[in-house]
Amino acid sequence: MTTAGRLRRALRGVGPPLLVGVGGLVAWELTVTLGRVAPFLLPAPSAIGTELVDNRAVIWQVGLASGANALVGLVAGAVLAILAAMVASRFDFLGEVAVPVAAALNALPIIALAPILNNMFESTSSIPRRSVVAIVVFFPVFLNTLRGLREIDPVHRELMTSYAATGWTFTRLVRLPGALPFVFTGLRQASSLAVIAAVVAEYFGGRQDGLGSRITSAASYTAYPRAWAFVVGACVLGLVFYLAALGLERLTMPWRARRSG
Amino acid sequence: MTTTEHEPAVEITGVTKVFNPGRPDRVTALTGVDLTVRRGEFVSLIGPSGCGKSTLLRLVADLIPVSEGTVRVAGKPARTARLDREYGIAFQQAGLFEWRTVQRNVELPLELRGTGRRERRVRAREMLELVGLADFAGHYPAQLSGGMQQRVAIARALAVHPPLLLMDEPFGALDEMTRERLQDELLRVCARTGTSTIFVTHSIPEAVYLSDRVVVMSARPGRITAEIDIELAQRNETTRQTAEFFAGITRVRQALRGGPAAQRPDEAGPVGEAEPADPAVSR
Repeated sequence: MTTAGRLRRALRGVGPPLLVGVGGLVAWELTVTLGRVAPFLLPAPSAIGTELVDNRAVIWQVGLASGANALVGLVAGAVLAILAAMVASRFDFLGEVAVPVAAALNALPIIALAPILNNMFESTSSIPRRSVVAIVVFFPVFLNTLRGLREIDPVHRELMTSYAATGWTFTRLVRLPGALPFVFTGLRQASSLAVIAAVVAEYFGGRQDGLGSRITSAASYTAYPRAWAFVVGACVLGLVFYLAALGLERLTMPWRARRSG
Repeated sequence: MTTTEHEPAVEITGVTKVFNPGRPDRVTALTGVDLTVRRGEFVSLIGPSGCGKSTLLRLVADLIPVSEGTVRVAGKPARTARLDREYGIAFQQAGLFEWRTVQRNVELPLELRGTGRRERRVRAREMLELVGLADFAGHYPAQLSGGMQQRVAIARALAVHPPLLLMDEPFGALDEMTRERLQDELLRVCARTGTSTIFVTHSIPEAVYLSDRVVVMSARPGRITAEIDIELAQRNETTRQTAEFFAGITRVRQALRGGPAAQRPDEAGPVGEAEPADPAVSR
């Protein structure tokens, strides 16, 4: 494809959502300024933008802290989930028991564990927030990976039997690569959840050096545009995580990206 | 290798296969099957759906165990033959590994035999050339058409130079043009490598065109009802128009309908009879 053609296609993909986004912002600004909406109800985008620029150093710094929490929790939770799914898929009984149990645990508001975890550790510890993230991340990754590991093309199974390939060889050559698309579906869901959990966990005490604490403190000082500026920061962080997961997926599975060729 | 040259490629004796024995959904898939495939012989299994021809192939491949009787491949029990990787196999679905390139798909069985990297590459390359896909070695399966994928699967089955090739309707999902071209490719490869082949098919012309012998099966319970030797002077494009080819088709069709050949002389070989699928077969 030519560079011009690629550019045109990218524009066609990005253009419409960009247009809707900008249009929305303009409508928002007009509604707030012309409709005289109280700033504690809804600050104007321009006010939020000013706060964003003024506080960019702080937002960057607390964003990094929250990002680190989300990343550590995400990696820990995902690794545990993938290992657990591999174990569960090896034993039919475990796999059958694990799915309903995981689904039931997943229905718990895991964020509600934050105050309990906070009390377990010192107030300067980052472990509680990261644990909350890891637990939140665990379920989508575990359930998706397990499904992927169990769903094996019967033709692949027969072929590997005909090659006399069993055990770890079979897992390495068929199960794991076959499960990758499912793992990444789980990771994509988990990446956004990780940021939400890392931010929200701070609402319940513990160490206060991330985005969550800034949102609550700005709100309690009735500095609503500033609170919104931090919310925007959290939003961007979530987007970065999601895009990183998407990029990793593309890199790891080139056979999917090149399908159209 | 421990095989002796005098052993037949496949020897099936008194084989019965019962699925779900002792349960209400018990099915007798095959009863009292005897079949010998000589070295280098091309044998087709044909019959209506449910006659157990795929089951018979899977018994030879040791993908499922026999209920009674014995299956010997290259003079050994089927299980030993499988563990010794004495055969290559291809199914109706190509079953390629979508995360491997075409080249690495063909290399997989060689990899599992511990063949060195360089030899793997050379052999895979050679097989891809044979099926006319050398230019696509670096592509992923999803980038190929169904027919091309099937050719890769055949290259993969042949890559290990197996003494025995087992094929379960490998061309079943392909269009007629591709199908005929692949039939010719397969014959060329088998002739060149001296491979023995068991080929399951629904198509009478395909069975006649490819085979030294067509084994006709019938259902409920699955059993062999006739074995028809096919002698064609040559096998190429013109063969499909010859009287001996149509005569072969007629004999197989009559065997499928269960009547002795002599009873139905009226059906002997006009051109219009050479339709790809007999309704009696697909039913």
